Amino acid sequence: MPSIIEVEKLTKSYGGKRGIDGVSFEVAEGEVFGFLGPNGAGKTTTIRLLMALIRADGGTARIAGLDCWEKALEIKRLVGYVPGEPSLDRNLTGGQILEYFAHLRGGVDRAYLKSLIERMDLDTSRKFRQYSTGNKRKVVLVQAFMHRPRLLILDEPTSGLDPLNQQEFDGMVREAREEGRTVFLSSHVLSEVEKTCSRVAIIRDGRIVRIGGVHELKDIKRYEITIAFAHPVPADTFTKLDGVAEVESLDGGSAVRLAMQGAADAVIKAAAQFPVVSLTSYEPSLEDIFLRYYERDGQAPREEAARV
Amino acid sequence: MFRSIYLKSFRDYRVPILGWGLGLGLLLAVVFAAVPAVFATPAAKAAVVALGSSYAWIAEPIKIDTAGGYATWKYGITILVVVIWPLLAGTGMLRGEEDRGSLDVLLSLPRGRVRVALEKVAALWTALLAMGLVIGLLAYVGAAKVSSDISLGATLAFGVNLALICAVFGSIALLVSQFTQERRTASGVTAGILLVAIVVDMVHRVVPNTVWLSQLSPVYYYNLSKPLVPGYGVNPGAMLVMVGLTVILSGAAVWLFARRDVGGVVLHLPQRTNMETRALPQSDWSLRSVYSRSLGMIVTPTLWWTLAIAGFAAWMVVIVKQTETSLKSLLQGSPAIAAFLKLGGSDTATNASILSAFFIFMPVLLMAFAVTQSNRWSADEEDGLLEIVLSTPQPRLRVLLGRFAALATATIFISVLTLVATAAASVVTGVALDYGNLAAASLSMIPLGLLVAAIGYLFAGWLRAAVDTGLLSFVLLVWVFISFIGPGVNLPDASQKLSPFYYYGTPLLHGIQLADLLVVVLVGAVALGIASARFMRKDIAV
Repeated sequence: MPSIIEVEKLTKSYGGKRGIDGVSFEVAEGEVFGFLGPNGAGKTTTIRLLMALIRADGGTARIAGLDCWEKALEIKRLVGYVPGEPSLDRNLTGGQILEYFAHLRGGVDRAYLKSLIERMDLDTSRKFRQYSTGNKRKVVLVQAFMHRPRLLILDEPTSGLDPLNQQEFDGMVREAREEGRTVFLSSHVLSEVEKTCSRVAIIRDGRIVRIGGVHELKDIKRYEITIAFAHPVPADTFTKLDGVAEVESLDGGSAVRLAMQGAADAVIKAAAQFPVVSLTSYEPSLEDIFLRYYERDGQAPREEAARV
Repeated sequence: MFRSIYLKSFRDYRVPILGWGLGLGLLLAVVFAAVPAVFATPAAKAAVVALGSSYAWIAEPIKIDTAGGYATWKYGITILVVVIWPLLAGTGMLRGEEDRGSLDVLLSLPRGRVRVALEKVAALWTALLAMGLVIGLLAYVGAAKVSSDISLGATLAFGVNLALICAVFGSIALLVSQFTQERRTASGVTAGILLVAIVVDMVHRVVPNTVWLSQLSPVYYYNLSKPLVPGYGVNPGAMLVMVGLTVILSGAAVWLFARRDVGGVVLHLPQRTNMETRALPQSDWSLRSVYSRSLGMIVTPTLWWTLAIAGFAAWMVVIVKQTETSLKSLLQGSPAIAAFLKLGGSDTATNASILSAFFIFMPVLLMAFAVTQSNRWSADEEDGLLEIVLSTPQPRLRVLLGRFAALATATIFISVLTLVATAAASVVTGVALDYGNLAAASLSMIPLGLLVAAIGYLFAGWLRAAVDTGLLSFVLLVWVFISFIGPGVNLPDASQKLSPFYYYGTPLLHGIQLADLLVVVLVGAVALGIASARFMRKDIAV
């Protein structure tokens, strides 16, 4: 698949304060790409650079082969956008807002627009200021999807949506993917990314620390094994085994909890020497992987700052 | 300063206290400094005295041949411009915070609503007193050099009197904001009330036996105290009325605030119930383009400003009739007064001459309108309203020019309606005017309004909304100072050319000055050009 988004060494600072620094990644046409990072990591800066709302200090960003700044107008014909902190005219109704943006975009299929309104269960007769956070988000989502864009750039799109509407949103993203459209989705809701994205980039302190398929990321995860024995077992039996990162002795030595990174073969063989009562393995979610990257004060390990 | 809501709120007012305090204090000091030049000869002094009675409808001339009397008369209503700040502070105090959503957080603290509101009100009152103190001290510095009649107590009393009228309108703004869904609506309504109050106060000086009507205006009580006028002093009763009004209005506002929904209003208008919940308003003209949407956004304020400007212009025509008799003989008999008014020429004894002297306020008002509307451009960017608009395939230049074109349309509308209102007033009152020149006077305002808007857009390229508005207002005040005060304080003649009022000229007397107006248009076009170039390249703020 050709890349629809190509970002290379993209850099942006705000009067000496860090924005992003040398960010590079590519998004293939037709994929759903997750962009993960904690607050202030540089997600929104990257997205606003793609949308030509701010200008890069260095590096390049291209969408569909077009420079994001120089060819902003052409690019915006291809893109549907949900900003991280959407702000719309408080005195307009949802319907007026959608009608206005339909005119500004031009060529919007009214029937499709109405179907989106139905689908999101949006009351368009209320003023924007009267909407709940979730309903405000629905208006912004509908305006992003209403022209069936080739590329959807969504900054924290489900923030404030209830579970039912999140499901509806997942369905809309799935349909977009099935139709061959591309979705670039920033989020810190990892379960959402896990459900909808095929590939993920993690950004931290303005730098990309990892890019990979969702399943590839899981491959490098740290997971846990808890083994209960019929009688106490010395914990140091497992300490130096391959794949074992940490060992914790439980219940006076009758059980051990092992933090694993890599294959469990050596652990299974070592445990087999003792009478095992039970063995449980805990598969971490992307949430846990994500936390692993950001719970530390220091930088991500060097070896992790590479593609997998 | 972050230990209480009171201290935090007071801290927020530190810039306005110094800005308005120093600005108006220095203005008064400059006026006092100019007094020796204004009263240079007995003839000049006599001219000013005579002039005072002719302009009594604006401000009551008492002991106008003294430094304090002259300063009080000359800035009779002009100084009320300071009320703009407490007006905005009053609407921003609770409604402004509700608009931003920050009041929710504040009210989550273990403090009662009444206490929160009272601490904020008390902070505003303290700030106003501090501002009055600064004005009083600076006025004393200026007055002490030219007159031994004016004591420190008198200038401080002047500052306190000013603080009280500010407090009254701040309280009106606070009360009005309990009934409006948005801060800017409350600001607009209160500004209208201020304008009406000023005009109602004027009525008794023009129409006999109407003191009872003027007594309905808070401005009337402000004018009852003239501490700078030797021997006149303050009117404690009038000051008490203002204190009482402040307490009652603020108290009512706090009482209502404690009982209504946060983010809601006191009175709910019935909602339209026949709207379809999934409908799209496809026939709405205002949603077709950036231009039409921008026009839709400013329809309401434009109508209010039209009412104020066109209404004020028509009122000017009406009072020309009353001023005519006394001023005609005065102007004919005293070249010094003619020079003071900058009327000149042999046609000063005409209705147009008199009206021309008043009409110069019209472009000032139109420019003030332009200040408020260009402020919305930078505020919208700051509030993130351009974010999604600019994600559509609309060129940045079209977005900026669409907004500007809407403002230009509103400016033209106001000017044309001013022409219609003044022409109608002249027909009704029988004041004969050259309608060609009247058209020139009304329509020549347009380039001045657009110049201010273009400069506002230019500033918005670099500055945040509050600073943009402050700076633009300051520029407008400087121009007013150069054109209307400059000659009195012997500013070099060349400085006049720095003010757009110089290029506006006296179209009521001499018709349209096309070459001069082209200068204004050119400067405005350059400002808009730079603003456009900047907007096309700048980072959009969030």
